[in-house]
This record gives sequence, C-alpha cells and structure tokens, in this order.
Amino acid sequence: MKVPTSMKTTLNFQDADAFYEQLLDAHEGLDRDRSELLNARLILLLANQVGDAEVLRECVRAAARPPE
Amino acid sequence: MDELRTGYADTTFSNGYEFTQGRGYQLPEYPFTAPAELLEGRTGEHPIVIVGAGLAGLTAACALATYGVPAIVLDEDNTVGVKGASSRGICYTQKSLEIFHRLGVYERIARKGIQWSVGRTFAGKDEVYSFDLKQQSAYNLSTQPPFINIQQFYIEGYLVERIQELGGVELRWMNRVTAFEQDADGATLSVTTPAGDYRIRAGHVVDASGSRSPFRQWAGAAVTARKGDDRWCIADVRFSKHPPVERHTWIEAPFNENRAVWQHLMGDDVWRIDYQMAPNCDPEEVSREEVVRERLRRQFGADCEVEIVWVGPYAYRSECVDAMRHGRLYFVGDAAKVVSPFGARGGNTGVADADNLAWKLAAVQKGRAPEALLDSYHEERHEAAQQNVLVTNRTARFLRPADGIEKVFRTAAVGLAKQFPFARQLVNTGRMAIANPYTRSSVCEKTGGQSVQNVAFQWPDGTRGVVNELLKWADGRLLLLVFGDPGRAGLARLRELVQAAPLRCVQVLGPTDRPGALEHVRDPEGHLQGACHVFGHAWALVRPDSYVAATGESVDAAVIQAVARALAANGDA
Repeated sequence: MKVPTSMKTTLNFQDADAFYEQLLDAHEGLDRDRSELLNARLILLLANQVGDAEVLRECVRAAARPPE
Repeated sequence: MDELRTGYADTTFSNGYEFTQGRGYQLPEYPFTAPAELLEGRTGEHPIVIVGAGLAGLTAACALATYGVPAIVLDEDNTVGVKGASSRGICYTQKSLEIFHRLGVYERIARKGIQWSVGRTFAGKDEVYSFDLKQQSAYNLSTQPPFINIQQFYIEGYLVERIQELGGVELRWMNRVTAFEQDADGATLSVTTPAGDYRIRAGHVVDASGSRSPFRQWAGAAVTARKGDDRWCIADVRFSKHPPVERHTWIEAPFNENRAVWQHLMGDDVWRIDYQMAPNCDPEEVSREEVVRERLRRQFGADCEVEIVWVGPYAYRSECVDAMRHGRLYFVGDAAKVVSPFGARGGNTGVADADNLAWKLAAVQKGRAPEALLDSYHEERHEAAQQNVLVTNRTARFLRPADGIEKVFRTAAVGLAKQFPFARQLVNTGRMAIANPYTRSSVCEKTGGQSVQNVAFQWPDGTRGVVNELLKWADGRLLLLVFGDPGRAGLARLRELVQAAPLRCVQVLGPTDRPGALEHVRDPEGHLQGACHVFGHAWALVRPDSYVAATGESVDAAVIQAVARALAANGDA
C-alpha cells in the first residue's frame, strides 16, 4: 500500500544513545573544518538513505527552525 | 570548405568582453536592399514581423516559410554570428536537430558538426563519473544523434540559405528597429536603415533580438534577473593535440588553480576550452594573449602548438521575462530568458521557442485556430524558460559555491562521489538540455505535453519513413496517429473528424495487421508507438512541433475534444 510519507517525529531509532555516542566519537579530535566536512558528508549519506523528497524537504525545514 | 561562404580563416588574436571580438572566422555578408516601404514612401503592413536574425529568429522564420506563411525578418547587422567575431552556442540537442531536420538544414549541420555522446567529469586527477547518452532510452529512438557540436553561425547561415530557397519570408539586413508600440489591432515598428527610416504595421511581432532586447522595456515586460560574480574565459583553439571527442569537465582542474574547465570539440577542428576564472577578476587581463597562452600551456603542455581562434571572457547571468506574450509581442530565445551555458539550455530552448510559436502563428494565420492558441505559447515556453533558469542556476551554484558551508558541501559531495555511486548524482556540472515537457498547458491534455522523437517507421511500400515526413505531410495541421485497429465505428468517426477539423490521420499497424480504410504506415519495431508514449491499441494527437497534445485508448469523443483543445477551439477561450 502506498501512503504519503511524512517526516517521523516520534522515536524511530533502534538505539538512540549508541548513535549519539558514535556521532560524538567521530568528531572527537577534529578541528572545526574537518568536523564541518564530516557533518556535510554524513548529511548527504543519510539523505540518500531517506530518499523521499517530501520527507527530506520537511526535515530541512524543521532543522532550520530551532525552538525559541 | 563548406559550400556556405563561411569558414576558418587566418588566426587573428583579439579579445573583448562578452563575445564581441575576434576575427578567427570569415562570416557571410548579406546585401542591404532598400525595402518597399522606403521606395514607395508608405507604412508597410505585414502579418508577422520577426526582429533579429539569430538562431531563434531564423528558426521561426524558416518554420513559417515551410508552412507557407509570409513574414518579414529585420536584422540590424548584415551577417550571421556576432559582428564578424565568432561562435556563441556550440552544442545542439537532439530536439533541435530534429527541428532542423524538419526545416531542411540538418544534413548540412551533420556534415559540418561533430557528434558526441560521452561526457566525463573530473575532480583533480580523478574521473568522478561519465555518461554515454547513446545508451539512454530518452535519446536512442531518434534518427538524430543525442548532440552535435557546431559553431552557431553555421546553423544560422544554413537557415538563411534555406529561407531564401523556400521563399515567402523576406530577410531585411541592416534594418534596425528603433521604436515599438502596440494597440488592440496590431503593432507599429519604426525602422532605421542606411537608406532612410520607415514604419511597419504588424499583426504579430516576434522579438528574437537577443539578451539585450529593447522590447522588454518598450512592452513593459518585467524581468527577473540574477547576476553572480562567477567569471569565465573561453579560448577557441586549434592545436596539434587530438583529445577524445567527448565532453570533458573538470570541477577542480589542477591546471586551472583548482577551478572548473570545460573542453569540447566543434567543427573545423576547433576546440572550445572554457576556463573558470577567479571571482571578480579583470576580464581584460584574463583574456590577454600571453595569459591565455599560459593557461593553455598548463593544460596541454609546452610542446603543444596552439592557434587561438577566438577568446571571450564573460560573466554568467540569468534573466527571465514575466510573460512570453505581451499582446501582439512574443519573446523568443535570449530575448525571453538568459541562462548560463551549462547543459546547452540557451540556444536550444530558443530553437524550441521558435518552433512552438511558428506553428501556432501559422495555424492562426491560416484560420485553423483562434488567436487564443497564441496564449499557449506563453504557458508552454514560460514553463520551459523557468525550468531552464532553475536548472542552470543550480549548476552555477555547484560550480561556484559561496565561501563557507556551500564550499564544504561541495567538497563533501565530490569526495563521496569518488567513493560511492549515489553521490555522483550530486556532482552538477550541467544537466543537458531536454525537450521540455508541458505540464500546465491549456492546449495539452494530462496525457500530452511530451516531445515525440523523430523515429523511423515503414511506409506501406516498405521504404523507411520518419516522423518528420508525416509532419510535413500534415503541413501545419494536427496529426492523429491511430495504433492498431480502431474498429468500424472508430474508422467512421475518424473519417468524419478529418473532414471537420484541420487534421490528418494515419493508421499505424504492426508487421502483420491488415490496413483499414485509412492511410497507413507500419511500425514493426514499435518505435513510433514508443516515441508517442503509448502502448497497445491507442491514439496519439501529434502537433506540428512534434509534441503530443493528447493520447488515449479508444477512438471516442475524447479524440474530438482533444483536437479542439489542441487548437484552443474548445469554446471557453
């Protein structure tokens, strides 16, 4: 069945704590430039995992709006 | 040497800003003859006036000539190309080549130009990805190749000679338009010539006067513009090296201070090497002969003998008018929109603009369609213009990322592309021009709006035919292709429809089907059906510009509606 996809806002991680730790570990010891590059590479890799254009659009929009 | 009095001449180095100088080519010159208006001292009256004998203007003129519709072309110069300088566009898409085939100049273009289909993109010394357009289904049905590279002025010269051969369209050289005004019934043009000034009253005015069109202001057209700081410098050269006949693009060329470089072959063994320069560099400095030679040495080695045909520094910009039609005035080509050269989306879309407008003007002139049909020119070609602006701006942003995070993302994309196939798609060195689909046209059904490739089929006697020959047979009318057997009732309905509407109808049969009571052709390999985007028993309503207006399955009232709609004759206009 094809349902319109939209950005998940509830928990979807199998292991959120482990991912968070991996992310911090990957940045450890990097200077600002290399950290930025890592983030950019990671975003592109993850975006390709998502694929769905509408979900990506919503994610970009949501990320651009931090809480007050 | 080509039969056109145009060709490669002794190299003379010169430079200038925005394609205005260089004397590497000898261009044909056309004589000025005093127009009838001046001799008779009256205001001329002409149904269609085209301003500008460039690629778009001449395509429109040639198309009108093939439909047998008279027109006047006014050009301020006495040659094709730019002031005796050089070539502008170099890369012509399959759709343009199909149009040129229909107009009768394709064979000359194919003889003079260079076919290519392979493109390679490099970052540093590594190839990031490559493509072969011949392998892609979007290109492999047509009898024209995916691309031919040729200097723009050759095509213009061929069109001029073809127009002269066809007759009916008058080319007026050294006729510059100095003013334009319009009312509900027509437009008035003031024209200046070496023999004096005169005025023309025109039913329709086609503005093909290029990116500096004065008509935008005269007609009050708003223009959305965007100007970047990206600077490039072209060197058209002949040299002792013979690189492969492929499009090569470097995102970060080690021999150009890690900026981008394009490398492409044209006719006469001339290569176009296009170098990205430092932002806000001085155009005069980067195009000095010594500086250009040094760049070429860095790329091709000190032992490579180089003849410089032409050098042209330029800046990218993008512009789009708010509407392609302003009353009696129609913007075509660069007059309507200016894009950066990535993907060959400038000249090629000008050719498509002209082809789209010409059949509609012809249909209205011949009383086959109401004037409302002309509104669809805006709907369809503005969608194309906006799409082309969007696509080229994205490429421009990839090639000239802003300092900071944009640059970081590009580094990330290029790095990933070397490691993982998915990321190659992010490397944007230009998306090659396509025949733009029309998704919001009031004269196309939801099932239509796509281009039909110029594929081959068989005439009843077994000889080979191509779509363009069917279109020529339809002679500016709509062409209804009926695939398979429409049944007795269907055939009767088709016969009635052909009597009532400006339409030609042909049945398309498989290798063993028996013909009905209609004209028929055979499509043994299903190429014609594929080109029309239909399968099995079906019909396709093809327009003179080789776009489907609509497709359907059974021959019923929907066909009649589609015909009326394709001509804007469905009542609500």
